[in-house]
Amino acid sequence: MGVALRGAGPILETRGATARFGAFTAVDGASYRLEEGETAGIIGPNGAGKSTFFNLITGLVLPAAGSIHLAGADVTRLPPHRRVKSGLVRTFQLVSVFDALPVLDNLTLAVIHADPSLASGPGFLLGSSRRGGLEEAGVAALDRVGLSAKANWLTSELSYGDKRKLEIGIALALRPRVLLLDEPFAGLSDHEIAEVLRLVKAIQGSLSMVIIEHKISHLLDMVSRLSVMHEGKIIAEGKPATVLEDPTVRRVYWGGGQGRGLVEARGTRKAEA
Amino acid sequence: MISVVAYGLTVGAILYIISIGLSLTFGTMRIVNFAHALIYTMGAYVLFTMLRVTGGNFVLAAIVGVAAAVPLAWAIERFVIRRLYGQSIDYAIIGTYAVLLIGVDATKWIWGATPLPLSDPIGKYVNVLGVDLPVYRLVVIALAVLIFAGLELFFRRTVVGKIVVAGLEDKDAVRSLGIRVDSYFSLVFILGSCLAALGGILYAPITTIHPYMGTHVLLLSFAVVLVGGLGSMRGTLVASFALGMVMAVTGRVWGPAAEAMVFAVMAVVLVLKPIEV
Ligand SMILES: Nc1ncnc2c1ncn2[C@@H]1O[C@H](COP(=O)(O)OP(=O)(O)O)[C@@H](O)[C@H]1O
Ligand SMILES: [Mg+2]
Repeated sequence: MGVALRGAGPILETRGATARFGAFTAVDGASYRLEEGETAGIIGPNGAGKSTFFNLITGLVLPAAGSIHLAGADVTRLPPHRRVKSGLVRTFQLVSVFDALPVLDNLTLAVIHADPSLASGPGFLLGSSRRGGLEEAGVAALDRVGLSAKANWLTSELSYGDKRKLEIGIALALRPRVLLLDEPFAGLSDHEIAEVLRLVKAIQGSLSMVIIEHKISHLLDMVSRLSVMHEGKIIAEGKPATVLEDPTVRRVYWGGGQGRGLVEARGTRKAEA
Repeated sequence: MISVVAYGLTVGAILYIISIGLSLTFGTMRIVNFAHALIYTMGAYVLFTMLRVTGGNFVLAAIVGVAAAVPLAWAIERFVIRRLYGQSIDYAIIGTYAVLLIGVDATKWIWGATPLPLSDPIGKYVNVLGVDLPVYRLVVIALAVLIFAGLELFFRRTVVGKIVVAGLEDKDAVRSLGIRVDSYFSLVFILGSCLAALGGILYAPITTIHPYMGTHVLLLSFAVVLVGGLGSMRGTLVASFALGMVMAVTGRVWGPAAEAMVFAVMAVVLVLKPIEV
């Protein structure tokens, strides 16, 4: 194929990615492309395989078939931590921060990776996690998501919304080129949703992003492309408005009992009646 | 009374030193590691041999005994445990149990099956409230407390410690920070194994050295880990000393029931506070 020029190909691509758990196929031959700088959305009923698809991309689940490519490089067999080093960063559906650590330490662990110069010297790992450069970088990352006042709280004391902001702060501290957000608005209050939306919109364009969401309303004005997953397959893809009019998509959502959310989000209840 | 308490604390100290590694291995790797008992036994045997070589220098012999655990633990982790990651927990039990059985036979082959007695390395007594207590036992208790303090510092302050604490909570989340969490877990495994060897070394002068000493202690250690909470560092400390006292007090009343009582307490705790794995 020759040398792919930067920006020439998709920043993220899966080809026929398949995940199996025993006899059950959770993701079934998913082929997907994300262009550099794009913000794309994935929707689909519960159990459609969306989170497993992210696990395939990040390497937490190994594919039974297919391949994963990051900036043109095949990363199918790369362990998860190496993919992070290539700029692939994600958040989890159930917010994933470290409850047993102080808030700031969550960030320091991320910063270590992002700035290898902080990690120099043989005694580094046995040294305190609160040394100058490390602590400063952690506080700066915390500031970005408006949590620096709670730096010394124990993470378990944060509200769910604050934990979500912290998780996003961690993700940003890792300096992602591709950021995968798995239902970042789920379980948040309206006020918290607005805050997280603001965070996400602020970084839009400066990196490539895929957002899984259940309530499509949050995605509509943000994503340029929407993909629909159903029973492990990507069944529709395109501009949000077009995808939502797709008869198959409508049937899936009505069949899965998820139709109301979709329709309300679109404000086209009349059309359905 | 004083001697019962001192005995309970000594047993508790030894139990702590052994169990902390077992608990951390379970917490980090989700593996029930029977080979822990082998490392404990090997520590005592290497001590025995090194005491001869060094002409009775206990501290030096103990250091060699602990150091000998490093390559052994490394090999067990690299060639047995690493292959069992993500498999059913039964495989880990069978795999590490096989290592223990092979190790016990190797021990018999090298050192023989006859129990080897060791004398108290300090041999001095100190009078506490009218009772003569061996200084050695007080040293063992102090060491356990020091190790606890050291581990607390390690896990609360250092970068590695925090990575491990985070990994105990959510391995995949640590991986998602670009950190190769398994290497840190291997490190913890080796550290825990060194402590197991130290436990065997410290207990050797109190009982005798024999090929099954580890197998025996391991059951008590499992009780500690279950009562203290899998992967809980402070829980392990509290459970060790509590069960040590249970053994000492029961043993004073009726010797043969001492260990049975430990398992009775464990059963009660498990009924009241079932574990989630
Ligand atoms: N580790 C796993 N082991 C077995 N089944 C799994 C595992 N992870 C996900 N699944 C199954 O795969 C299907 C898809 O799950 P998921 O990807 O979480 O769906 P979604 O995120 O779209 O709601 C579900 O039926 C789920 O039970
Ligand atoms: Mg999901």
